[in-house]
Amino acid sequence: MSDDMSDDMNELHVEGLTKSYGAGEPVLRGLGLTVPAGALAAVLGPSGCGKTTMLRIVAGFLRADTGTVRLGGRLVSGPGVHLPPERRRIGIVPQEGALFPHLSVARNVAFGLTGVDRGERRRRTGELLELVGLAGYGDRMPHELSGGQQQRVALARALAPRPQLVLLDEPFNALDSALRAGVRSDVRAALRATGATALLVTHDQQEALSTADLVAVVRDGEVAQCDTPQNLYRRPADPWVAGFVGEAVLLPGTVDGNGTALTALGPVSLTAPSNGLRTGTILLRPEQLRLTATDTDGAVRGTVTDVRYYGHDAMVTVTVEGHDTPVDIRIAGPVPVGPGERTGVRVMGEAALHP
Amino acid sequence: MLLVPACVAALFALLPLGYLAVRALERGPAYAWDIVSDERTRDLLARSLGLTAVVVTASLLLGVSLAWLTVRTALPGARAWAILATLPLAVPSYVTAFAWLSAAPGLAGFGGAALAMTLVSFPYVLLPVTAALRGLDPAQEEAARSLGHGSLRTFVRVTLPQLRPAAGGGALLVALYTLSDFGAVSLMRYDTFTRAIHTSYRASFDRTPAAALSVVLVVMTIALVAAEARTRGRAGHARTGKGTARPAVPVALGRWRTPALLWCAAVAAVAVVFPLAVLGYWLAVGNSATWDLGGLARTAWATLGVAAAGAGLTTLLALPVGVIAARHRGRGARLLEQAAYAGHALPGITVALALVFFAVRYAYPLYQQIPLLICAYAVLFLPVAVAATRAAVLQAPPVLDDVARSLGRRPWQVLREITVPLAAPGVAAGAALTFVVCMKELPATLLLRPTGMDTLATRLWTETGAGSFAAAAPYAAALILLAAVPSYLLGKHRSRTT
Amino acid sequence: MRRTSARRLTALAAAGLLLPTLAACGSDDSGAGAKNAGNGDSTLVIYSGRNEKLVQPLLDELEKAVGSKVEVRYGDSAELAAQILEEGGRTKAGLFFSQDAGALGALSKEGMLQKLPAATLDKVDKAYRGSDGDWVGLSGRVRVLAYNPDKVREGELPDSVLDVVKPEWKDKVGYAPTNASFQAFVTGMRVLEGDDTTRTWLKGLKTNGAKAYANNLATLDAVESGEVSLGLINHYYWYERVAEKGQDKVAAKLHFLPGKDPGALINVAGAGVLKDTGQSEAAQKALDFLLSKRAQTYFADETKEYPLAAGVTSSVKDLPPFESLESPDIDLGKLESLQQTLTMLQEQGLV
Repeated sequence: MSDDMSDDMNELHVEGLTKSYGAGEPVLRGLGLTVPAGALAAVLGPSGCGKTTMLRIVAGFLRADTGTVRLGGRLVSGPGVHLPPERRRIGIVPQEGALFPHLSVARNVAFGLTGVDRGERRRRTGELLELVGLAGYGDRMPHELSGGQQQRVALARALAPRPQLVLLDEPFNALDSALRAGVRSDVRAALRATGATALLVTHDQQEALSTADLVAVVRDGEVAQCDTPQNLYRRPADPWVAGFVGEAVLLPGTVDGNGTALTALGPVSLTAPSNGLRTGTILLRPEQLRLTATDTDGAVRGTVTDVRYYGHDAMVTVTVEGHDTPVDIRIAGPVPVGPGERTGVRVMGEAALHP
Repeated sequence: MLLVPACVAALFALLPLGYLAVRALERGPAYAWDIVSDERTRDLLARSLGLTAVVVTASLLLGVSLAWLTVRTALPGARAWAILATLPLAVPSYVTAFAWLSAAPGLAGFGGAALAMTLVSFPYVLLPVTAALRGLDPAQEEAARSLGHGSLRTFVRVTLPQLRPAAGGGALLVALYTLSDFGAVSLMRYDTFTRAIHTSYRASFDRTPAAALSVVLVVMTIALVAAEARTRGRAGHARTGKGTARPAVPVALGRWRTPALLWCAAVAAVAVVFPLAVLGYWLAVGNSATWDLGGLARTAWATLGVAAAGAGLTTLLALPVGVIAARHRGRGARLLEQAAYAGHALPGITVALALVFFAVRYAYPLYQQIPLLICAYAVLFLPVAVAATRAAVLQAPPVLDDVARSLGRRPWQVLREITVPLAAPGVAAGAALTFVVCMKELPATLLLRPTGMDTLATRLWTETGAGSFAAAAPYAAALILLAAVPSYLLGKHRSRTT
Repeated sequence: MRRTSARRLTALAAAGLLLPTLAACGSDDSGAGAKNAGNGDSTLVIYSGRNEKLVQPLLDELEKAVGSKVEVRYGDSAELAAQILEEGGRTKAGLFFSQDAGALGALSKEGMLQKLPAATLDKVDKAYRGSDGDWVGLSGRVRVLAYNPDKVREGELPDSVLDVVKPEWKDKVGYAPTNASFQAFVTGMRVLEGDDTTRTWLKGLKTNGAKAYANNLATLDAVESGEVSLGLINHYYWYERVAEKGQDKVAAKLHFLPGKDPGALINVAGAGVLKDTGQSEAAQKALDFLLSKRAQTYFADETKEYPLAAGVTSSVKDLPPFESLESPDIDLGKLESLQQTLTMLQEQGLV
């Protein structure tokens, strides 16, 4: 499969979208987002943040109150402009696949292939079914497929007409977790292979971080932060984003002048100068904390209250003297402590100070 | 985009209301108000509503229980019972009433009217509930069973609430049919609104009181439609489950097998076998029977023709209204649907006179021609088809429309390629239902048919009017047999596609 | 694109409207071949409230007698009258043949009937034609008491219908309250005896346990089986039953009430010619045919009714001569006040 679509013509540029339903609170308050051509971007946010509304506006099912949507430089939504969905060249993969139940798998995939001759249609359908790993399933009816297979067919259907952009609306939600990771990487691979720009809407931060090239975190109808998964995790814009994209340990800290802050877990080196900020919140990830012996130098002491074991790692919750909220510590390998035991806790690496 | 044809359909359905306004106000609003505010009107209202309440309750009981037994349980002969249970639709209310009355004259009155109306109208509940049951995801029932609920409790707590929209729609049709029926209530001598309207034509030849009373009936209809829309709640629109549900595993009846069979047999006996037996009795004892098979065949053929055309036009008009009613929630959509229903509780004679009024003035060449008769069927039965279409479209999740749009289809293409094919079985069921009710329609057919044309229903009326019950029996039997055909085909189609 | 889709659907709707027309073409040849009735050509259209089974053979003969094509539209008399009123000046009917005087009276009142020539009117006794001279009665039916001789001896029969509410007839009387002839009879009683007497009588009927039946035939059946001793019916039901089964197979007998009793009221079926339809001439001819000896004899023989045209007598066996009937003198036009009768019946809970 060649990258026939991955020129700059496929960049998605969303700017200043606002939308309210009736007289209620606005759902979107000036949302803006740019997805470079060929990238897979995730829109991540809690339910009700406006991400589905945004998706429906981009797809053309809804009109925004203000703001613009451009696809490869072409204005598709804007003041006085509303290109109907069928002329946008945007494919969608809805929740649960939403295959046409009265059509076979092949006819579902071929549904968007209009204006091409039968041979080409058959070739393209076969090509896409192969791409999603379902070669030979063309004659089945949707209800004869598993949930994961349905989802893959839905992707093939969306990709078949070579759309400029593919929208995926929480497409892995209905799948059980064992299946989810596999389907997710297959979808990613298929998208990469076609080079289509894609926008994945999800409320699952793991899914967003592991699948996307770019993640936009949406809060109350605005993009709170848009960055690569790594940057988002390591340098969240604020404590809320930090907490939303992963587990976070938040500690009040006071700057002591040497580029460090004093906290209940001891001094922590700051990633950046404090810019005159005297006090604030220090943001740490559980993997930045270490369990130590109680008498280790520079460690604070606490009591283990809970241990959750995941196999590849474990989360230990410790109540630390001088800090009201218990802190979470991620450890790899065997768990050396049990609930009720005393332990020392130490901070590794740097952290940011937030107002 | 569907708005234009939908509005045409609604205007069509509103024609009788325009006529009523003209006639009711003919002698000034004060005169009409006197009639409407009369104590007797209030009394009639109470009687009509009382009868309606009982018939609706009984129809729900019969319709839901039979639908569940035939769709979801391992009832022996479920298919046959399902088909048998739709047959009473084909029996005109006056035939059922007459059959019962001739067997038990003491039935006359409220009880008899309620019995006759229930027996002919419970399939209006049965059909949509059957369709809904087939479309339901069995996973929820399985979940309930796994939580320790028995079949019955699962049915009451999990299945029944989900059937509410379908049962509610059916109940509305039953209510409006009961309000509009004249045949059964007049034979059973139970005074209702429709009877008062007929009496007004018959006794005083004064069209104003009849029109004023009819307006009350329209108001009552709108109230009922609004009430039904409320019971739908969100459920109607939230039922967008996957279109790919697994077929359910039938519930084993165990020791309830015999009672269930007896229940089905009892309903079939009173609603189908009994009227047929009375027809047989008429044939056996009377000497007026003349086996004019040629005449019977001609009449049957003509009936099939007008009923098919009536069902076709009605379904076509109902399609845009049903789609809009299913897909949109706004005030406009609601008004549109209500407009389609507004005239449905009017007695056939009133609708027929309304069409006489308009046709003579504005479409004289069509007057007493078949096209006008077919239009009358559409006006009378639009809600039957709208209800079926709406329910069918609801079964197709709207997200499929979105997907189709994103794949380059225009709205009308989506309608043609996705919505209509998915809704087709339900729409076809509605068409079949309309076909059957068109076949047995009498008052409008009498007034609007071409001079000299007969349908099975008019022939039945002629023969019984002359007291020749034996001669009437073949026509009644033909009516029931012909109506059985669409029911049978429908049952067959359903079991193939699910 | 919005416009295109709208156009597409409109086309669809138009096709739908065409469909019935096609069907119309298809079923026209299967119907009785009615085409553009009342086009102003020589076709006479009759709206008949009398049952097709009863009068169709006669109307076939009428077609020959009139000399023009005749089309008959059958329906309920009252509904046909309402239809004619709704059609107004553009009615397709040239002649209205009604089951009862009331429907004719209603059309007369609205001025829709044409004045009839004296030659036509004079064929019928003044009592049996419209007071405005725009309709005539064609056949008469008299209210009688049917009785079961096993239950009641001839000598014990009441002389007046007013007596059937007396205690000796408790639970022994049958009647058909929804039947139009019964209602006309009650209206007659109101005219003759007054509303108070009628109301008391109706109340008595109910408290005396009189049994209500669906129609005259069912009432006669009840008398026949002895379920009741007396039945209030029209005379011809009994004669039809006798003609059908033979005299020896019918147990019930008839009692014609004497002394101008309200219970001996005579109802008529009649006809009137519609104004300004272009069919007046044919309609007038048809009416004259219906008053001819041939037609009047038909009524007498086939429907066992009394012929009303002067000089024709019924040859039905055992039918008392028309002249011998002691019927009350009443203006049949007044029987239009049926509404009040119905209200009264409803008040008493009889219908």
